[in-house]
Amino acid sequence: MRLKLAIALSRFAGLLSRKILGKSGETIPGRILLILYPKALIALAKNRNIILVSGTNGKTSTTGALTKIVSTLGKTVSNSTGSNLDRGAATTLMTKSEYAVLEVDELHLIRLIAQTSPKVVLLLNLTRDQLHRMHEVKRVADRWHEAVAGATETVFVGDVDDPFVNYALSASSNSIRVSFGGRKHSDAAVCPSCGIYLKWNKNNYKCRCGFTNTDADITLEPASAAARNAELANIVGKELGAKVVKINPADLERSFTKSYSGISAKIRLTKNPASWTEALSGVSGDDVILILNARQVDGIDTSWLWDVSFDKLHGKRVVVCGERALDMAYRLHVQGIESAVTTSFKEAIEKFNGSSSVEVLAAYTAFHGLVNA
Amino acid sequence: MSQIRIVRIHNELLGTYGDQGNADVLTFRAKFHGITASIIDISYNDLLPTNGDIYLLGGAEDAAQILSLEALRRDDILQGAIERGAVVLAVCAGFQIIGNSFWANGQEVEGLGLLDVKSVPGKKRFVGDVKSKSTVLGLELTGFENHAGKTILGNNAKPFAKVSIGHGNGDGKYDGAVDGNVFGTYMHGPILARNPEFADLLLTRATGRKYSQISDPLATQYASWRRKVTK
Repeated sequence: MRLKLAIALSRFAGLLSRKILGKSGETIPGRILLILYPKALIALAKNRNIILVSGTNGKTSTTGALTKIVSTLGKTVSNSTGSNLDRGAATTLMTKSEYAVLEVDELHLIRLIAQTSPKVVLLLNLTRDQLHRMHEVKRVADRWHEAVAGATETVFVGDVDDPFVNYALSASSNSIRVSFGGRKHSDAAVCPSCGIYLKWNKNNYKCRCGFTNTDADITLEPASAAARNAELANIVGKELGAKVVKINPADLERSFTKSYSGISAKIRLTKNPASWTEALSGVSGDDVILILNARQVDGIDTSWLWDVSFDKLHGKRVVVCGERALDMAYRLHVQGIESAVTTSFKEAIEKFNGSSSVEVLAAYTAFHGLVNA
Repeated sequence: MSQIRIVRIHNELLGTYGDQGNADVLTFRAKFHGITASIIDISYNDLLPTNGDIYLLGGAEDAAQILSLEALRRDDILQGAIERGAVVLAVCAGFQIIGNSFWANGQEVEGLGLLDVKSVPGKKRFVGDVKSKSTVLGLELTGFENHAGKTILGNNAKPFAKVSIGHGNGDGKYDGAVDGNVFGTYMHGPILARNPEFADLLLTRATGRKYSQISDPLATQYASWRRKVTK
């Protein structure tokens, strides 16, 4: 089948799925296109500047910021809603453009790199996440390393304070290695490069094999995850010839504020030990709601809760809800933090009647549920 | 004895699956029983204390598992502790480490030989909820497994639990192994958070005292809810 015909049919299918099934239409057209025309990604990526963004945390927001930056250079498309497998990429690339900024799932990166021959790939971080699917952080890092080694024409940009990112970049002779002055990593006690016990000196690591973050190409000041991602996006932009675009780090937090019966709720996305720790460090008020689910994209096991310190919540009014509220409540209980268990977000909010604001940390599916509500 | 020492072994290596929470739950339950418990965190470069009452090992990635084994091989402290009756709870990679042999990074590795089991690679990875009935406690347990190894028991080890949901040691029949006060299991959760009665049993074994039932409604509610919904 010809590509043009396949695209037309896939678009039509997407239209039907939107109109009849009420779906968002981000994945269906791409999915059908890849069935009708399996080499569609290769064909659609040709003669176009492809930029890929991957990592455990911050993919969607960083892709958004980078899209803003790249748009200053020419027409840019992006899978802005986080549909980050090959089908989401295919749907996005059906629209003609000079540039495409694509967020890519960690396990799909190898395939996307091979098929789209990207100009630049930005690697943000790699930490424990959805272990029922990822199995091991090192396993994902090994796949990245393999993907990077195969892409000799691509420039790789990454944060080498994360040893797994550094390890992936080490397979490229064309990389921009960025450090923010070092940062602890809770999953990297072993050198990903040689397998011995990795020697950490406070926030920096230096292995006997020479593997280190202290020899970066660019060293910047320590900053929050959001601010780091904003810097990385601009470094990618610069590589493409764009001018620096000022990005407010707050825009890179996956959060939004919404009012529920007069209570202003700041809702923040949390997914795994790293993102919970980051989100908890930003809690400033005394009233907090935690929502925990354990569907596929949340990670179906909740054991990781015990790797997060909730110390920050001592002395605050904490209400929990979500499908796995009890897992959270018991975890907090053992850390000496008592919470009220509720059966819905509505009920959780009602507990704060009379308050003016509340901070909400929400699991992936809960966050999206509230965005779409 | 009103004081116990809980030794959390190599958490930076064996802390991938949240099993470090087992130490927290033990300490928490101990308080209800009037026991003062302290957690001693031992990292790769430290020497294990010889006077621990409960030694804990958790799940890990392959490379970390090998490093932890390498460190534990430096001396016979863990073996000595077992000989004087200390309690050991080893989960997943930790369970494999204390066995006779296991596979990591595509190679067969000789274990510590403290539990008569041997682990071999499975054809697929075993991932999901587990429900089992403990042979020691006579109670239903729940947990979560995520491992590629299959474990075969030798003559000196008994199965820890009979599996009704999940794969356990890989045959779908039994999970883990037990020999005296040495317990091995594939169940994360952490297992002691999901099954506080098991924490109480370990405290009893560690102190040699029988404790009366304690009242922690949230712990009971959580454990029984997990039992109900794991199907």
